[in-house]
Amino acid sequence: MTLSRKDVERIAELAALHVDEQQLPQLTQQIARIIDYVSQLDAADVGSDAATWLATSPPQPLRPDEVRPADLTRDLKSFAPAFREGVFVVPRLTAMEDE
Amino acid sequence: MTALAERARVAADRIEAAERRGLHAVLAFDRNVLLEQATKLDAAPTDGALTGLVIGVKDNIATLEYPTTCGSRILEGYRSPYEATAIKRLKRAGALIACKTNLDEFAMGSSTEHSAFGRTQHPEQPDLVPGGSSGGSAALVASGGADAALGSETGGSVRQPASFCGIVGIKPTYGRVSRYGLVAFGSSLDQIGMFGRDVRTAGRVLCAISGRDPNDATSADRPPLEFPEIPNDLLGFTIGVPKEYFPDDLDAGVRAACDRAIAHLRKAGAKIKQVSLPHTGLAIPTYYILAPAEASSNLARYDGVRYGPRYAPGEGDVQAMYRATRGVGFGPEVRRRIIVGTYVLSAGYYDAYYRKALRARWLIARDFDSVFAGGVDLLFTPSTPTTAFRAGDKLEDPVAMYLADVFSCPANLAWVTALSVPVGRSDGLPVGGQFIAPQFGEARMLQAASVLEALVDRAAEAR
Repeated sequence: MTLSRKDVERIAELAALHVDEQQLPQLTQQIARIIDYVSQLDAADVGSDAATWLATSPPQPLRPDEVRPADLTRDLKSFAPAFREGVFVVPRLTAMEDE
Repeated sequence: MTALAERARVAADRIEAAERRGLHAVLAFDRNVLLEQATKLDAAPTDGALTGLVIGVKDNIATLEYPTTCGSRILEGYRSPYEATAIKRLKRAGALIACKTNLDEFAMGSSTEHSAFGRTQHPEQPDLVPGGSSGGSAALVASGGADAALGSETGGSVRQPASFCGIVGIKPTYGRVSRYGLVAFGSSLDQIGMFGRDVRTAGRVLCAISGRDPNDATSADRPPLEFPEIPNDLLGFTIGVPKEYFPDDLDAGVRAACDRAIAHLRKAGAKIKQVSLPHTGLAIPTYYILAPAEASSNLARYDGVRYGPRYAPGEGDVQAMYRATRGVGFGPEVRRRIIVGTYVLSAGYYDAYYRKALRARWLIARDFDSVFAGGVDLLFTPSTPTTAFRAGDKLEDPVAMYLADVFSCPANLAWVTALSVPVGRSDGLPVGGQFIAPQFGEARMLQAASVLEALVDRAAEAR
């Protein structure tokens, strides 16, 4: 399949990734080449018995449910871009209707 | 000056000299930090298994002494508020944490050219790459700046640079070493690995950091590994040689060095058996669907709010800030992988790519299970299809770069353990041979690799 510049723009938007206009042609070409390459799996017979094989895998080891102190050596505020009155300060999520 | 302080001083001098020569293996180093650790250890000596061992740490593993940048602008200057379990265990064993080492951004790459802070040179030929993504760690150890180093593996990022730089690199079984404090790339594949100039040093580092960690739910419920007794021969070992790892277009010098290594193994008493791993050809396409898919999810957290610098476009809402920060903060290879990962997980393509790749992964893992269940203790293959390549040669063609991992990424997909050990040279450049062992089969692998290492060294001395 061939990926278009528009496809790449749409995926970049889904991934919250700004891409410069002038980078788009080369990026589209490279992504198309990667997708074409991995598409060779299409032709492979990967069977349907994978679920059976997975069922024999060892179970996930679990630890007891217990509350433990945070493993931090510094205050939260020392590694936040902005911190005020005990909370992280972040950009506004969206413009308010009445503003 | 005590022996320990002298050791630290020599390491510091070597690191500074190598960096002055332009090696660029190191992203953060302060000789006082290293010397202070030696002083503290002198004041309160331990009988730790790694006392005085000088260790470099790949800059995607959290340390308190230095920033943890992952070789990315998006984490420039970031200081972790906690340290990785592997680092805690190294310190407990008496090791000295020397520096943070260069890497391909977020460990995505096979040449260390994708670091936002400049490429690392090959330790012997500056115009070549040291391999990657743990190229800084490999070059540091190969140049004598540290006794050992930590790296990380998602698809061969320790074994491939170990092979290119002529040292030993280990990828432990998934779950053998805690990933707590290793910055996540592909969580079902990631594992902390280690480098040393010989099998024993790398193996001792593995032993010191192995074992269950309640902070990592995927760490296996097993006691720490103990370094095995090294036998004088390999009687009783059956070593499989998979035909898929010796294709017709394999570099002639790599093939010759591996053939000589197989002859050494046979002479040491091992039974050599031709085997087949029929789904090997699916490994690279499978890996380059699954790893970017996991990366696109793991890297969603870098948005300018919780980590690193924030780039605001001047106007717009928080979405505009996310896009601007990520657009400026991530380099070209990381951007490509995020886009590929988002694409293969998107509605309409999930079944065709992601689900199919999951099934292919199970088939690749089953190939290994079948061979090991058939009486083979270990597999032996080349670590890489070529020796170190020229910087810039593969930068514009991502698929050509991905193919450098063709012999290494199957072991990551199959959750097994593998190791690269030097087996000779081709046109003057190091060639690595790879052992692959079943899950938690590190002890037998270390034994066979130690025996082969001694035979290769002896043969080199005799020439």
